[in-house]
Amino acid sequence: MKKLMLLFAFFSLISLQIYAQKTVTGTVTDDAGKAIPGVSVLVKGTTIGTMSLADGTYSVKVPDGSNVLIFSYMGKETQEITITGNVINVKLMPSSEAIDEVVVTALGISREKKSLGYAVQEVGGDELNRTNNNNVINSISGKVSGVQIRNNTNMGGSSNILMRGSSSLTGNNQVLFVVDGIPVNNMNTNDAGQRSGRSGYDYGNPVSDINPNDIESINVLKGAAATALYGSRAANGVIIVTTKKGQKSKDGGKNISVGVNSSTIFHTMDKSTFPEYQTNYGQGYGPYYSGPLGDEQPSDYWGLYHYDFDGDGVLDYVTPTTEDASIGSHYDPDLMVYQYDAFYPDLPTYMKKSPYVMGANGPDYFFQRGRTLTNSVNISGGTAVSTFRLSYTNTDETGLMPNSTLKKNNVAFNSSYDLLENLTVTVSANYTNNQVVGRNHTGYNENILSSFRQWYNLGVDMAQQEEFYNLTGKNISWNPVDENDLSPIYWDNPYWQRYENYQSDERNRLIGYTQLDWKINSFLNFMGKYSVDHYTTLQEERKAVGSVAGEFGVGRPDVQSGYARTQILFTETNFDAMLKFNKNLTDDINLTALLGTNLRQTSIDQVYASTNGGLAVPGVFALSNSASPMLPPEDSYEKIGVNGMYINASLGYKNMFFIDGTVRRDVSSTLPTDNNAYIYPSVSSSFLFSEVLNQNWLNLGKIRLNYASVGNDAPWSRVEDAYRIVSPFNGNTMIRFPSYKNNPDLKPEISGSIEGGLEMSMFDNRLGFDLALYKTNTIDQVVPLSVSYVTGYSSKFVNIGEVENKGIELMLRGTVVKKKNLSWDITLNWSKNINQVVSLGDDIDNLQLASLQGGVTINAREGEPYGVIQGTDYIYAPDGQKVVGANGYYEKTATSDQVIGSVQPDWNAGITNTIQYKNFTASFLIDMQMGGSIFSLDQWYGMATGLFIETDYTNDLGNPVRDAIYDADGNLLIPYIDLPDHDPADGYGAESGGLILDGVVGEDTNGDGEYDTFTQNTRRMSGGDYRIWGYSKNPNAGFVFDATYVKLREASLGYNLPKSITDKLQLTNANISVVGSNLWIMYKALPHADPEASQGAGNVQGWQSGVFPTARNIGFSINLTF
Amino acid sequence: MKRIYIIFIVLLTLSVSCTKNFEDFNTDEKNPTVVDGEFLFSNAQKELVDQISSTNVNLNIWKLVSQYWTETTYTDEANYDVVNRTIPDNIFDVYYRLVLKPLNESKTLISTRDLFAGETEAQRSNKLLIIDLMEVYTYHNLVNIFGDVPYTDALDVENISPVYDDALTIYKDLITRINADFTGLDASNGSFGSADLIYGGDVAAWKLFANSLKLKIAINLADVDFNYSKTNVEAAVTDGVFTSGADNALFNYQGSTPNTNPLYEDLILSGRKDFVLTNTLVDKLNDLKDPRLNYYLQGTIDFKYLYTNPDGSKKDTTITDVSRWLFYADSTVYKEVPFTIYADDSLNLPSTYLGGDYGYSSAYSSFSHIHDNIQVASFPGILLTYSEIEFYIAEAAARTMSVGQGAQEAYDNAVTASVLYWGGTASEATDYLTGKGDYLLFGTWQEAIGTQAWISFYTRGLVAYNEYRRLDFPVMNEAPDAATGGPVPTRFTYPINEQTLNAVNYAAAAAAIGGDDLLTKLFWDIN
Repeated sequence: MKKLMLLFAFFSLISLQIYAQKTVTGTVTDDAGKAIPGVSVLVKGTTIGTMSLADGTYSVKVPDGSNVLIFSYMGKETQEITITGNVINVKLMPSSEAIDEVVVTALGISREKKSLGYAVQEVGGDELNRTNNNNVINSISGKVSGVQIRNNTNMGGSSNILMRGSSSLTGNNQVLFVVDGIPVNNMNTNDAGQRSGRSGYDYGNPVSDINPNDIESINVLKGAAATALYGSRAANGVIIVTTKKGQKSKDGGKNISVGVNSSTIFHTMDKSTFPEYQTNYGQGYGPYYSGPLGDEQPSDYWGLYHYDFDGDGVLDYVTPTTEDASIGSHYDPDLMVYQYDAFYPDLPTYMKKSPYVMGANGPDYFFQRGRTLTNSVNISGGTAVSTFRLSYTNTDETGLMPNSTLKKNNVAFNSSYDLLENLTVTVSANYTNNQVVGRNHTGYNENILSSFRQWYNLGVDMAQQEEFYNLTGKNISWNPVDENDLSPIYWDNPYWQRYENYQSDERNRLIGYTQLDWKINSFLNFMGKYSVDHYTTLQEERKAVGSVAGEFGVGRPDVQSGYARTQILFTETNFDAMLKFNKNLTDDINLTALLGTNLRQTSIDQVYASTNGGLAVPGVFALSNSASPMLPPEDSYEKIGVNGMYINASLGYKNMFFIDGTVRRDVSSTLPTDNNAYIYPSVSSSFLFSEVLNQNWLNLGKIRLNYASVGNDAPWSRVEDAYRIVSPFNGNTMIRFPSYKNNPDLKPEISGSIEGGLEMSMFDNRLGFDLALYKTNTIDQVVPLSVSYVTGYSSKFVNIGEVENKGIELMLRGTVVKKKNLSWDITLNWSKNINQVVSLGDDIDNLQLASLQGGVTINAREGEPYGVIQGTDYIYAPDGQKVVGANGYYEKTATSDQVIGSVQPDWNAGITNTIQYKNFTASFLIDMQMGGSIFSLDQWYGMATGLFIETDYTNDLGNPVRDAIYDADGNLLIPYIDLPDHDPADGYGAESGGLILDGVVGEDTNGDGEYDTFTQNTRRMSGGDYRIWGYSKNPNAGFVFDATYVKLREASLGYNLPKSITDKLQLTNANISVVGSNLWIMYKALPHADPEASQGAGNVQGWQSGVFPTARNIGFSINLTF
Repeated sequence: MKRIYIIFIVLLTLSVSCTKNFEDFNTDEKNPTVVDGEFLFSNAQKELVDQISSTNVNLNIWKLVSQYWTETTYTDEANYDVVNRTIPDNIFDVYYRLVLKPLNESKTLISTRDLFAGETEAQRSNKLLIIDLMEVYTYHNLVNIFGDVPYTDALDVENISPVYDDALTIYKDLITRINADFTGLDASNGSFGSADLIYGGDVAAWKLFANSLKLKIAINLADVDFNYSKTNVEAAVTDGVFTSGADNALFNYQGSTPNTNPLYEDLILSGRKDFVLTNTLVDKLNDLKDPRLNYYLQGTIDFKYLYTNPDGSKKDTTITDVSRWLFYADSTVYKEVPFTIYADDSLNLPSTYLGGDYGYSSAYSSFSHIHDNIQVASFPGILLTYSEIEFYIAEAAARTMSVGQGAQEAYDNAVTASVLYWGGTASEATDYLTGKGDYLLFGTWQEAIGTQAWISFYTRGLVAYNEYRRLDFPVMNEAPDAATGGPVPTRFTYPINEQTLNAVNYAAAAAAIGGDDLLTKLFWDIN
């Protein structure tokens, strides 16, 4: 192939040479050193010219008297070069805001960017995929203003992507992805239990099936005016992905190019996102085992059992193995105790004492180094009438936890063929196979990370846990009921869980289309397209015999073993037909018009089945292996159809003033039949004032303004009520009443938005910015309104409310240095979205989005930003100090409806620096979020169970905070409970541990029921008690953290092999680079975890439980083009 | 241009043809939109009994509150923290949404449909009256948990701000409804058949249930409105209440999920060891030498008081607090206090039944456990029993109402029925009633009936809780970290949901009952 190509190039050169009077040859490359085909090479002052070939080479005959060549290419800065020899190699720099830049807009229509009355931001494939991230969503983070991404830390997990804030109260707020004109499904298949943080797996973003290596560029359409043609589903913004295509040959021959890309990325745990533990105290909850409550006399090690374990007539110390906490006795290497490993007859440590010390290997031992290998090959090319591109990519990832792998195979093919001079047919097919084994658990239950962050015994040696599992193949848990009953009570051996209770899933997906483009005449085109996005998913979950019981299977009962599988069949078809009209009506006025239709049908067919009552035969994970007769599987089938028609007209006057209008009408199957059509218009305009000012320094100046209204339909099946069938009882049919009240009077919801923008580029395009201001109001939303259970329902569907999003987006770029061998570009993306729930209708002022463990709720509350966190708060004295009660603990509000945080950040920003020196390119991206808050269930429990370093320090008296407390005479005050009987005024002994909570004690002196006098709190409380810091005696507000972060998101250093070497290797282009992502969290306020971590994508954010640590990714990649 | 017209025609045809079957798209084809009311009724019965039977800490914590059981490690609920797990919200959810609404709907569906083949109008009428009795039972529980609750405005989704009704008014209306149900029920005709999961559609049994329930409600009003209480108690007895264990209203759970007793899920399937017996109950049963000890709990614990020295040496220990059964390797003896355990006995270790200190952390292996028989999948759910009715009759007699039995006679019947129900023998019951269980040995009738009712209502936390609040016996232990500051709550606080979703009416109800507090007394809890 390579030879063929060289031969071909050789012949072209010769054939050109014959006619040349003077021939100039050379190669055109981009800033990364990659060959650019199709560059126009024009001899200045003539009409003589040529195009560069697939390998970037060109050859042009230059008539006498001409000595300047003009190299121009869409999206690159045009260069004029004086001919000094026969060879001129040219590097075309990206035109960072070329005036004639063409961008892809809604429905795949290419438009000159200057004519657009709305905000569009483009990111090139190279920039997007610089660090080889598997999930395209994560790759966008920090690179586009107005897009807010929450990089999920789960392996293969789902990242949340919002554009210009959340507008829908309870519906989908995620951005729509459109790949080559096909809307690509990004449905979250995580079940309700997973989303509400109970338990389950994060099955990721289906949109990650898009192969990053196939992406040519993405275009981000932000406002409603930009997306209006897509209809209601695009209300949250659209990301248009354009994939790479083959190029037509310009000279009647064939061209062909082969690319190879290989990368190896290593993943390691970012320790700043994992707990830092205390090191001094062992298993237990405190002095409950011997000592004051057990024996008559207190012992020194009141956190240990004290009984004759081995039957030798002497009392032994035994760790309380049922306690998943670390506020036991102080470690003592000289004290020999029986620990869990002495309980198991299978172990060499059976009936052996061991020193009472911290585990030699902590939970971080459990995390291994992961790696991702990505290998990709592509062939593309074309003839004068056809193009094609075929690519294959294989991804093979191993995660941070044992037994976790993610494998992906992707084959993409596209081709176009000109059947007639005016009739082109295009086909595209993209097949992806995705196989995952061992995703991490999320949420509260059964999640190893919940154990490591909330409920753990720091005396466990994790290496021993591994050894014990490998040795016995059994669930040797550190948490057995007692020596006579070795079943684990709360937590499995982590290795057992990874190797025996693993989940797996596979998705097979085909996305494809055929398209017909017919150029009817000089001003009229017709496009017809039929596309399909189809996938099947199988998700299998296992629980081996001998595990801790947990919610599992149909009906989610607690079982100790089982097998469950979910099968999902998803199909979406779209039929599009469009007539395009484009004509210059006069010399100054251009009219472009569209008339089209879109017919969409989506169906989701889902079955969930499981064994019942456990597995009959251990080790066989099959439905047929159900211990009790299987319960009926849960099945659902939903189908949605939307038929749309639209019309669009754009008028351009003198390439200076543009106005654009659209009207779309949708008919949706999810609305009541007699009210299922809705029409919505948009209008946008732009004015290029630079054309009027005509200043040299000003390359482009544009203002734009638009207004759009977009309608939206209802969720599926919310019109008619349906009952739920539950398992029959002794032959009697059992029917459950629905919890939602549907509504036959639903109407479409409407959002209206207005946007203005200013875009300027100046000083030879070295400085530019794009500023956008917008305001969107979404009204009459279809929501399940939570209602008092007294009504007999938990919610009813109604049209209510208004949500407003307004904000500023700024993209600022500058070229700091621009020299022959050195350039430095900086791009800043900054956005601030102010979100407010304006109203929720007459009857309510709060819409609960989720009720989560810990007693916190995520809410849409009238007058507040969307997603306020509510829970209990401290009681504050008038001077702002916290009030401490007579019992020595903080007082908290009686009700849980206090606003204690908001998931909405104040602003987001990303700064990219790109420095180019000779053949080296270095780039780094700093990504940040300011504000927003997170309730951490990990802190809520982990502080109570004494895991974190913050619970073990030297107190104000210079003693360990967990030490006992003494009165002024040196008498021991009982060391473990609150001390209301001791008058703080009597003082404490200097040897006391404990702490005095910072706050004031209130007193009601005038008897009006309110505190009026406040005195500084002086009551000393035990620091070795689970109540003091954690969930038990503190309000939720104490566990709400600022979600601010500053991250070094990406960094890369690339080197393009010089042409002298590539030529020798017979390569067109060769690039090697070292890349890294999520390298360093430069700042965060949340301890022990990544503020971006969550249970997954969706509207329930701002709450963390058992979150996975962040993977730091470093590796290298090689790109070769033949 | 002609070609363009053709294109338009094709487009229009396509879009019209695709819209045709749109309404079918939106129909949930996997779930029914029309069902028989009977199906809803069966399921509502199960939902109610599930809630009553469960010991899930999110749903039903009265087995703790009544101090039968205490929690091993996580003691929040035993210390009456009802907020953290939003227990009141979950109770409203089950009672209103899963029980009352479907019952109400089943009434509508059954009364408006055509008669089934072979069904008579009398049968349909019986069905509706039985549903009504289920509703009365459910509301009675709700009032006893919270006090004032929504009643007249309830179950109407068009009214999302339902007003709370006065609890006494609800009580009286419930009795009125029972009267109508009793009168209307026609025992010569059938009703639900097997779809009635409690009595299999036996109308005569439901008539007895109606009067028994009326007796239960009416006796609760004895301290509020004695004459009203007396009239209704006496009428109920006259009209016919339960007369033997055969009349018990039980729900027979099945052997496999999801139709097992929820206790089986909570205790066995969960694999957790969250509960042990309390010292409150074990000490009392020990003290009374109660034969039911062996049916209520199991697992004897080494007599740990023998160990007194950290070095392992032992010394004689004299026990003065509670009489106990002692289990030696070769014998079982009952020891009256004071008794001494000798250090010499260390080779023949005595063990005893031991309950965890209520509300404190109590290691699972250190205390006696719930009896295995209670943890079987098919352990029945209990709505109302003969033993319970006899206790009400005993109380009525003690309060000088005319109920055909003397207080002691009814008390003896009640205790005997309980002993028999739990697997004991008639002679065990007789021995007990002539021994330490003798009615006359208690200080007052309140103590005798209160203590024995509490023992007899074992596992039925809410019912026991009602008795405890009305009679103030037995003496409960103070929880160490109680949300009330120590004492047993006298009611549950209203759901958090009501504070946010029904704020105005919530506030009015809270004010009406004297504050939404765990220690606010219900209207019938006078003394």
